[in-house]
Amino acid sequence: MNALEIEDITKKFGDFYAVKDLSLKIPQQTIFGLLGPNGAGKTTTIRMVMNIIIPDKGSIRVLDKKMDEAMKERIGYLPEDRGLYPKMKVGEHLYFLSELKGLKGQEARKRIDLWLERFDLTDWKLKKVEELSRGMQQKIQFIATVIHDPELIILDEPFSGLDPVNTKLFKDIMLEMKKNGRTIIFSTHRMEQVEMICDNICLINKAKMVLEGNLSHIKKQYGKNSVVLDYDGDASFIQSLPEIEKIDDYGKFMEIKLKEQTDPQELLNTLVGKIRITKFEVMEPTLNAIFIEKVGEKDAKDTLSH
Amino acid sequence: MQKILSVIKREYIQIIRTKGFIIGTILGPVLMAAFIVVPVVVQFISVDQQEKIGIIDETGEIFMDLEQKLDQKLKEGSRRYLLISYQLKDDVEALREDLNQKVLRKELSAYIYIPADISGGGEAEFVSEHVSDFDKRGNFNRALSSIVIEKRLRGEGLDPLKISEYTRPVVLVTKKVTKRGVERDTGGTFIISYFLVLVLYMTLLFYGQIILRGVIEEKSSRVVEVVLSSLTPFQLMAGKIVGIAAVGFTQYAIWALFGIVASQYSKKLITGFFPAAASFTMPSIPAYILVYFVLFFILGYFLYATMYAAIGSMVNSEKEAQQLIMPVVMFLVVPILLMMFVIKSPDSTFSVVLSMIPFFAPILMLLRICVLLPPFSQIAGSIILLVLSIVLMIWLVAKIYRVGILMYGKRPSFGEILKWIRYS
Repeated sequence: MNALEIEDITKKFGDFYAVKDLSLKIPQQTIFGLLGPNGAGKTTTIRMVMNIIIPDKGSIRVLDKKMDEAMKERIGYLPEDRGLYPKMKVGEHLYFLSELKGLKGQEARKRIDLWLERFDLTDWKLKKVEELSRGMQQKIQFIATVIHDPELIILDEPFSGLDPVNTKLFKDIMLEMKKNGRTIIFSTHRMEQVEMICDNICLINKAKMVLEGNLSHIKKQYGKNSVVLDYDGDASFIQSLPEIEKIDDYGKFMEIKLKEQTDPQELLNTLVGKIRITKFEVMEPTLNAIFIEKVGEKDAKDTLSH
Repeated sequence: MQKILSVIKREYIQIIRTKGFIIGTILGPVLMAAFIVVPVVVQFISVDQQEKIGIIDETGEIFMDLEQKLDQKLKEGSRRYLLISYQLKDDVEALREDLNQKVLRKELSAYIYIPADISGGGEAEFVSEHVSDFDKRGNFNRALSSIVIEKRLRGEGLDPLKISEYTRPVVLVTKKVTKRGVERDTGGTFIISYFLVLVLYMTLLFYGQIILRGVIEEKSSRVVEVVLSSLTPFQLMAGKIVGIAAVGFTQYAIWALFGIVASQYSKKLITGFFPAAASFTMPSIPAYILVYFVLFFILGYFLYATMYAAIGSMVNSEKEAQQLIMPVVMFLVVPILLMMFVIKSPDSTFSVVLSMIPFFAPILMLLRICVLLPPFSQIAGSIILLVLSIVLMIWLVAKIYRVGILMYGKRPSFGEILKWIRYS
C-alpha cells in the first residue's frame, strides 16, 4: 500500500503554474525527500496534500483513501510557515493542538508530558510560548506534529534554524518512527540530510518533477565517474583538462565529473606534482551534484547557498 | 463540529483571561456606579455643620420671617443656619465693615444685607468668603424673595395663598400609544433607545476589533497553517467568531447582573436621602425590546464580525488594517449620526428605507422598535434581508479568508481579492 498517491495534479495562481502535472507514489514505511529550489512548488504540493489548497485538477489519495478532512487526524503536518499562539501556555497549547487532532483527556496529557520530557522542556510547560526561544518553539511545533502518533508525517523544512544537537534529535525520532511503520515526507534543500536518511526522493523544479525514485538507484544510474578531491594550491588548470566534463569547486575541495570512458587514474597522474592532494576518491555523484545538474547552475546556487 | 468547539473554547478562555477584558467588564460598571453614588455620598458628608449668618435688616420687618423660613435642621436636630440680627446703628458702612472683619475672622460664615427699599426693588447682598455654594445662596434667595413678594401682595391687599393658587403651572403628561394600550411615558423611551443603541454600537465596534486583532495575530505569529493542518479555514473562522460572541454574551450577562443589583441598591440609597424620590420609577425596559436587542446584536455581530475577519486575513498588521476598516466603521457610524432624525420621525419613508438596509438595520431598526413599534412586516423584512446578507457575506468572506490567511507580504489590491473569490 502507498502512504500517498498523487495523480496528475496542477495548481495555477493566475497565469503562474505553481505545480504542473505532478504525479507521485510514496510507499508506506519509508522516508521520502521532496527536493527542489525555492519556489519550485514543494510547499504548494504539500498544501494540496493537506487539503489547504484545492488543486485545479488531479487527485490525491492518502493512506489508500481519497484525501478529506477526516484524514487530517491520521496525518501530522509541520508547515514551513509555522508558529504558535504567543500568549498561550506551552502545556495548554499542546493540549489545544492535540484536541484538534481528536486526542484529548488523560491520554493527551500523558503524551504531552512524555514528549516534553524527551525534549527537555518539562520546566517550560507552564510558561507562555512567547517566553521560549525560537529553537524551543520549533521543538514544541514538532511535538504538536507527532503527538497523535500519525501514520503519515509531513515536514516542510523541519531542520531550518535548528542547532546540530536538535537536528540529530529530530532525525533520530524520524528514523524511529519509520521503524514503527510510519511514513515520513519531508522537504528540504539540504542535500546531506537527504542522503543520510531518505529512502526515496523526488526533485521538483519550476512546478514540474524532474527526477524521482529510490536514492541509491538514482545514484547508480549516474555511474561511478565522479571524483572528490581535497587539495592545497592553485587548481584552476583542471578546468581546461580534456577529460573533465564538469567541476564544482569549493576552494578546499572539488567535485569533478569525468567524461564517459575516462579512467580516473589518468586524472590522478596529471594532478600529481602540480597540487598537494590530501584526498582523492572515486565515487557515485553526490546528491548535490545531481541536484545542480538537474536544476541548472543558477537556480541551484540560489537555493543551496540559502 | 468537535473541532469548532475546541476553537471556540480556546478563543473564549484566552480572551476572558486578558487584562483588557477583566478591566473592561469589572471596572466599567464600577465607574458608572461611582458616578451615581459618589455625588450623593459627598453631599451627605459635607454639610453637617451649623453656620452663623449675620443679618442687617434695614426694614426691621424681615428678620423674623427669614428665621422662620430658613428652618433647615442638621441631623442632630439643631438649626442649620443660626441667624444673628445686627441692630442698625447710625453708620451703616461702619457696621458692614465690622461684619466684613467678622467674616474674615470666621466668626460668621456670611452676612446678608437687606436695604430699606427692598420691596421697591432695592438689591439685597449676600457677603461671604465662599460665594460659590449655589445651594446655600439659592436657599437664602428663595426665602428672601418669597417674604418680599408676600409683603408686596399684602401691601396691595391681595392674598398670597390665592395668588400662588392662580399662578400654578399646567401639567403636561406625555403618553405613548402602542398596540397594547396607552402608557405613561416619563422620557424613559428616549433614554432607553439612546442607551440600547449606543451599547449595540459600541459592542459591535469593540468585538469587531477583537476579531480583527485575533486574525492578524494568527497570521503574524504564523500559527494559522499549523492549525489548518487539523481543520478547515472555515471552521477556524467560525470558531473564532462564535467564541468571541460568547465572550460578548458573558460581558453582557455580567453587566446586566451588575445593573440589576445596582438599580435595586441605588434606589434604596437615593430614597434614603430624598424620600420624595420614592415616587420616581426607574425607566424599565419592556421584555420585547430586550428580545429584539439580543436578536439584532447577534445578527449585527455576525454581519460585522465576518467583515472584520476578512479584513484581518487580508493584511499583515493592525496599522495596515486601519485603512481598510474605515468603510466598515462608517457603516456603523452613519446610523448613529442619523439617530436623532430617526427618533424624531421614526415612520418617515427615509427612516423606513434606512432601517431596511442590512448594514444599518441592527442599529436603526432597533431604534425604531424602541421609539415606535413598527409594523411586524417591516421588522421581519429587515431581519430576512439581514440574514440573507449574512449568508452572502459568510460565503464571500470564507473565500477571501481561505486565501488571505496564507498570504504574507504585500497587501492585496481590490482586483486581486476579486481573483481570490473567483479562484478558491
